[in-house]
Amino acid sequence: MRRGGLVLAGVAVAVLLLAALYPVDAITTHLGERFQGPSVSHPLGTDGLGRDVLARLAAGTRLSVWFTLLAVALCAVVGTLAGLLSGYAGGAAAAVVQRLVDILVAVPTVIVGLVVVAVREPGLGSLLIAVLLTGWAPFARLAHQLTLRERSREYVEGAVAIGAGPVRIAVRHVVPNALRPLVAHACLRFANVLLSIAGLSFLGLGAQPPTPEWGAMLAEGRQYLFVAPQLVLIPAVAVVGTSLLVTLLGRQLEGRWSSQ
Amino acid sequence: MPPARRRSRTTLTGTCLAAVLALATACGGATGAATGPVRPDGELRVALQFSPRSGYAMDTDDAFVLHQFGATETLVNSGSDGRPQPGLATSWAQVDPTTWRFDLRPGVTFQDGTALDPAAVVNALTWVSGVAAPPRAVKGIGLRAVADGPAAVRVTTTRPDPILPLRLSSVNTAILAPSAYRADAPPTVLGTGTGPMRLTAADGMQQAVLERNDAYWGTKGSLKTVTATFVPDPAARALALRAGDVDIAQGLPESSLLEFTEGGGYTNSAVAAPRTVTLMMNQAAEPFADVRVRQAVEKALDRTALAEQALAGAALPAAELFGPAVGWGSQDPPPAPDVEGAKALLAQAGHGPDDPVTVRLQTYPNRPELPTLATAVQGMLRDVGIDAQIQIGEYATQEPDLLDGRYDLFLLSRNYLTDVPDAGSTLVSDYSCAGSYNINRYCSPAFDALLAPLGTTADPATRQEVFRRASAMLTADVVGVPLVHSQENGVARNVSGYTVDPLAKDLVTPGLAVLGE
Amino acid sequence: MTTALLRRLLPLPFVVLAAALLVFLLPRLAGIDTVRAVLRSRVAEAEPDPAVAARLTAELGLDRSWIEQFLRWLGRALTGDLGLSFATRTAVAPQLGAALEVSAVLAVLALLIAAVVGIPSGVWAARRPRGALDRVVTGLSVLGVAVPEFILAPVLVLVLAIAVPLLPATGWGTLPQAVLPVLTLAAFPTALAAQLTRAETLDALGLPHIPVARAKGLTERRVLWKHAARLALTGVTALSGLFFAGLIGGAVVVEVVFGIPGVGRLLYDAVLGQDLPMIQAGLLAIVVIAVLASAAAELAQLTMDPVALSRALR
Repeated sequence: MRRGGLVLAGVAVAVLLLAALYPVDAITTHLGERFQGPSVSHPLGTDGLGRDVLARLAAGTRLSVWFTLLAVALCAVVGTLAGLLSGYAGGAAAAVVQRLVDILVAVPTVIVGLVVVAVREPGLGSLLIAVLLTGWAPFARLAHQLTLRERSREYVEGAVAIGAGPVRIAVRHVVPNALRPLVAHACLRFANVLLSIAGLSFLGLGAQPPTPEWGAMLAEGRQYLFVAPQLVLIPAVAVVGTSLLVTLLGRQLEGRWSSQ
Repeated sequence: MPPARRRSRTTLTGTCLAAVLALATACGGATGAATGPVRPDGELRVALQFSPRSGYAMDTDDAFVLHQFGATETLVNSGSDGRPQPGLATSWAQVDPTTWRFDLRPGVTFQDGTALDPAAVVNALTWVSGVAAPPRAVKGIGLRAVADGPAAVRVTTTRPDPILPLRLSSVNTAILAPSAYRADAPPTVLGTGTGPMRLTAADGMQQAVLERNDAYWGTKGSLKTVTATFVPDPAARALALRAGDVDIAQGLPESSLLEFTEGGGYTNSAVAAPRTVTLMMNQAAEPFADVRVRQAVEKALDRTALAEQALAGAALPAAELFGPAVGWGSQDPPPAPDVEGAKALLAQAGHGPDDPVTVRLQTYPNRPELPTLATAVQGMLRDVGIDAQIQIGEYATQEPDLLDGRYDLFLLSRNYLTDVPDAGSTLVSDYSCAGSYNINRYCSPAFDALLAPLGTTADPATRQEVFRRASAMLTADVVGVPLVHSQENGVARNVSGYTVDPLAKDLVTPGLAVLGE
Repeated sequence: MTTALLRRLLPLPFVVLAAALLVFLLPRLAGIDTVRAVLRSRVAEAEPDPAVAARLTAELGLDRSWIEQFLRWLGRALTGDLGLSFATRTAVAPQLGAALEVSAVLAVLALLIAAVVGIPSGVWAARRPRGALDRVVTGLSVLGVAVPEFILAPVLVLVLAIAVPLLPATGWGTLPQAVLPVLTLAAFPTALAAQLTRAETLDALGLPHIPVARAKGLTERRVLWKHAARLALTGVTALSGLFFAGLIGGAVVVEVVFGIPGVGRLLYDAVLGQDLPMIQAGLLAIVVIAVLASAAAELAQLTMDPVALSRALR
């Protein structure tokens, strides 16, 4: 089990390194070199505008991965804080937060994305807002449950008995114990957010051309489906591969930490 | 679980996808051509690009859909040659500068059984010119219609209108039965037109069903029913045709046209549309107030490469504003790019490595070719030392800035005929000093003087000569760079008589037929 | 029981009201020029005309204060009048209703598949953990979660509509046309149902009463399927609560790719056409559905699960 997780993490790091180091420009068009097959200068060939597909894939990897990381991290921070606070405060405020969370968990991110795009404009900024609006809710739910669980533990009750303040208890006891489940959950959310972002970009509401984003690359490639199927295949493999990788990693972490 | 197996599954997925695609590619086009005799009482299925968005309201663009179906007809017909032809009116004449008289075709009945008479025509024209936002063809001309005897109507305008017959060829001015018009709602279009096909079911944005109008006054076609499905997603339309869901798919991605070969039983058709994608340059501000910078941009752009490579032949390279879709349009190829010349002009204008031209290049995503063109244009401009940052946003949010001259470069796709086969209104609104849509902020008294005769001249030849000279003048003054002319396309299988109408007015014509047993 | 019910149900109207206010304020947050949006949705290349704009402003009631507009909007919404679409000038409610019906059919069919396929495979997989069957089910379920609709849909079309022309690739209205979209939509809930069922079954098999049951002579098979039947009941309701709103509104990709006139495509078109009344009504409807679905699922679970019920009553 442990080795499995390491190997998965290794694959992820290797892909990211490759993506960071591949030097070819992903935006510049070379209209004379359209739809080329794989060659030494273009290992994955070129797309409909003669751009290097590997370069676009690499740039897309950087964008998708960092953007998703940022979105998930923000969701995790906001959601965890909300969950901690409502777990602590209890009463009416907590009830309101939990109701809100219940509903947000059920409202599809795609619809929120559509609405944010209608209100603002298509683009990555709108996407980030849409993901944040719903994405904090699952973290808040988990953090709320974890906080309640930790608070009811004997040692925490003991700490309260000897006069430790709520902040001290939160920092010393609750957060460290809740951290692992939250990280494992973040991994599982990562795949979800990645797919949401790619899906909205696929619909033309996210990353705008010429930005190389996987969903946008898929949508662009779809019109060449029967002429140059690799233009669909390559981003599709990237999306599915990444979401598989991260999901498996999350399952490994969850399995390991819950068995302890 | 051992990790190695998991990774291999990822690659396995890829292999499966590849195999599926290869299989589909191999089988897809090989369904075989089943040509044969025209099937009597055929049933045609069509996948259309634009769904009726306004509940088939006659004063909106939905009127195009109705006319394409053959459900509605106008008093006057027209082609892209800009000359009026008889429609529901057999002849017309200018009685005085502000009045035209139209003689109605005898023996025409609406699909609800009532006869086409002057009262019905007056009713229809009065309604369309009186809506809150009248369609472009009749906007602001003060159109009034009155009956003139038992078989004619008189149409007056506030000012002399030399192209009134052409205006009444606009699909928005189609005549519906009096029973169609209701208070507080757009006219109902089910079975109220005069055309060869009768709309029998309109299921919102999903589909429409038409049946042959056996009481039609003109040539009747062989099709008994037409089912039109609205599929906005281009790739989905291509798949629907390939899967045999439909017989005709309109507006396919150009790259997928290559796949629909004659060997597979498909007929491709593509025509130049009266639509030009132009790179607008803001003449009200630096750097494009300087004509040398505009010329440098023009020389930097390889329009042939844009049309044939960036857009994969989906459009034609543009030399001038007007293209091959109209008789007065330019048939010539655009001049070849001149990178050195462009650099020299920029240097003359005082721009160089020390003072590079840095601009924003804006456009909007509704027309998918625009972001692609923007990307290619950006690359070509970079080669001559102009750094353009692309910004893509909704058109509507950018329009106020465009009209107030707060932009640098804007890529705009525009139909220069605006519903009527006459470019007069576009030239006035887009390029005259007082024009309401003068995005280039171009103002030339000589150009305005050139347009002046359009207000009075009815003769098509004279008008078209003015259009030609106006277009040449815009090219000489580098008022934006016309990049490409759009093409409309469609693919049919086992269908005869299918042509794509560049004006998007006709689709179901008497000649259209389904082949096979 | 009643107090528990009340505690769950009481906040709901307030949540809906707050959502309604937020939905109403959307265009104001957007700074969209409504009149221009209306003009362009009717005629694609309308040139701006101040006189026409003024007439439309009055016609749409946009010249009044926003509080007045909100109260009017809310009052009408409560009577089922969701206003006129800017683009179509026809009532929003019937269009939304028809689209909701289509999406509900899609969602119900997808959930049905998830329950019928996902839950039994989860139980099967749990019978022999790490056995061959378990690995297949687990592998497929991980894949089902990882493959997004916008990849699964074209793959299914290529295989089942084009390579082997069994089914139509687009459209809606006939049973064959429903197969591919429903399969696409069902993949994620099915995979998740299988995963959750497997985990729960494994937990249940470790519970103290199972060995007792075995000791009492019940066959392993009976124990397992009795447990499965209970899971199926609670699981389906939980799944519905979790996914129903998401499936109804979130099938945008499926509806666009297959050309299905559901809520997702309605809203997608409305966003592209900046048809604000439609967007507002659609969002409100989906929030209300999400509220009702999660509340209903929770209540259903409370009544079915005595442990949770007693906890809620405490």
